[in-house]
Amino acid sequence: MTTHELPFQSAAATAQAIAAKQVSPVEVVHAYLERIDRLDDTLHAYITVCREAALDAARRAERAIMQGEKLGPLYGVPVAVKDQFWTRGLLTTNGSRVYRDFVPDDDATMVARLAQAGTILLGKLNLSELAMGGTRNPPWGITRNPWDLERTPGESSSGSGAALAAHLCAASVGEDTGGSGRGPAAYCSVVGLRPTYTRVSRYGMTPMCWFTDTAAPMTKTVEDCALVLGAIAGYDPKDPTTSRQPVPDYTAPLGQSLNGMRVAVIRELFEHDDIHPEVKQAIAAALEVFRELGAEVREVSIPLIPHAGAIFVGAGDTAGAGARDEILRTRADELDPASRTRLQSAALVPAQVYHRAMKARVVLRQQFMAALDQADVLVSAMSPFPPLLHTSLTAPFAGADDVRFRFFFRRSYSASYALAALPAISIPGGFTSDPALPIGLQLGARPFAEAKLLQAAHAYEQATTWHQRRAPFAVEATA
Amino acid sequence: MAWSKEERVRELARLIGISIVPEEETEVADRFESLMKELDELVSLDLADIEPVTIFPEEP
Repeated sequence: MTTHELPFQSAAATAQAIAAKQVSPVEVVHAYLERIDRLDDTLHAYITVCREAALDAARRAERAIMQGEKLGPLYGVPVAVKDQFWTRGLLTTNGSRVYRDFVPDDDATMVARLAQAGTILLGKLNLSELAMGGTRNPPWGITRNPWDLERTPGESSSGSGAALAAHLCAASVGEDTGGSGRGPAAYCSVVGLRPTYTRVSRYGMTPMCWFTDTAAPMTKTVEDCALVLGAIAGYDPKDPTTSRQPVPDYTAPLGQSLNGMRVAVIRELFEHDDIHPEVKQAIAAALEVFRELGAEVREVSIPLIPHAGAIFVGAGDTAGAGARDEILRTRADELDPASRTRLQSAALVPAQVYHRAMKARVVLRQQFMAALDQADVLVSAMSPFPPLLHTSLTAPFAGADDVRFRFFFRRSYSASYALAALPAISIPGGFTSDPALPIGLQLGARPFAEAKLLQAAHAYEQATTWHQRRAPFAVEATA
Repeated sequence: MAWSKEERVRELARLIGISIVPEEETEVADRFESLMKELDELVSLDLADIEPVTIFPEEP
């Protein structure tokens, strides 16, 4: 394997090459840093690059390998995390001018667990302000999509998706409040997992909406996703909401047959009038792949799901606005106009409307659970359309109908799982024809059924070739 | 006389102690009115016996 090829490998393959002493962690880190130096002035995927610390860690890892220490499956792998996770002694901006000088004195539990697994932190990744979306003037630059630089890489874990698609890290961890991890995964043609709420500690993760926020492994392959989830999941006394359920080996079911697995498309999301026709075709084709893999394909209904976007904003944004009350009162002028107007409008929501949204969330969960009595895995698009142009995403809203279409509609696809506290994954599911833009395939399952989700995702990934395509910018910039 | 959408959000903001800059009042009003309209559609749901729990019980 040439040095140029190293950053294009999966995290699992990189770790295996390191363990077999075919390549040194120092070489791998150098290869990634070289790409970051060359490409990130255009992409703006990183806010902070930990050059010296990463090289020091790589040298320590190299010594450990040479001394024959027992290594984990991610040992020596260069990773990066969304700049929403605290890193001790290292700037943590949350993508906001409000936090431009915030240096935590502790690591997020997720960050500490990645380090315990032997990964090497390359840096902190860009995001929409305060993990929301639509930031018009991001302080650390507009993150660009390696598949088309004029388009969004998705939000809010924009840097996490872009860095993976451009091969500027081997794996990353974003965050998913209402689709912030899976959305960028879909738009960048990588893998993004929203684990069951309570599966991964939230300690040291700056909150947006405390009852839906979760860390989100984002990776180049499903196998990598299983490895990263295994490294970061589990009970944490610093986050009393975390589950005490044991963490299984998430790689164990990979490669197992889907014979008899019940896979169901969600009717309301598939049949929606406004879904992009090529996205709909891709979902229909994916169902055919599952059928060929031995799954029993069927259809389920979740009647409330078209309202999930509005329920999410009514419940999640309102909670988020409450949590940011001090910023709204004293530092609103430092916020980007998109974040400011979104939080301010949510702050005005009356208590009875918030209460109604919270109750509707419970009904949505009941409808999901009824659907999951009929199916093991649910299928839909991750987004009803391919990545949008930056200009259309950040333009101020042109009236209430525009808000409905641009703000609520797409969130019905992403935020529904967050509201229901269920695990969901986005994997590469195809491309539009002209221009060729990524389509994300979303799979969902019962609480704590991440292993089944990963099994189905892996089977689909191995039966297709979408994950093997490389983003034009990542390739052209290499040549 | 009925208030304009901008006047409504200005007054609501005043009551909760936040200030909206004049050039953003229309955008805040559009976001707010759209959300209220969407959530109004949920009044037909029977929510009387639903408890608005924030964390769901664990079910493996």
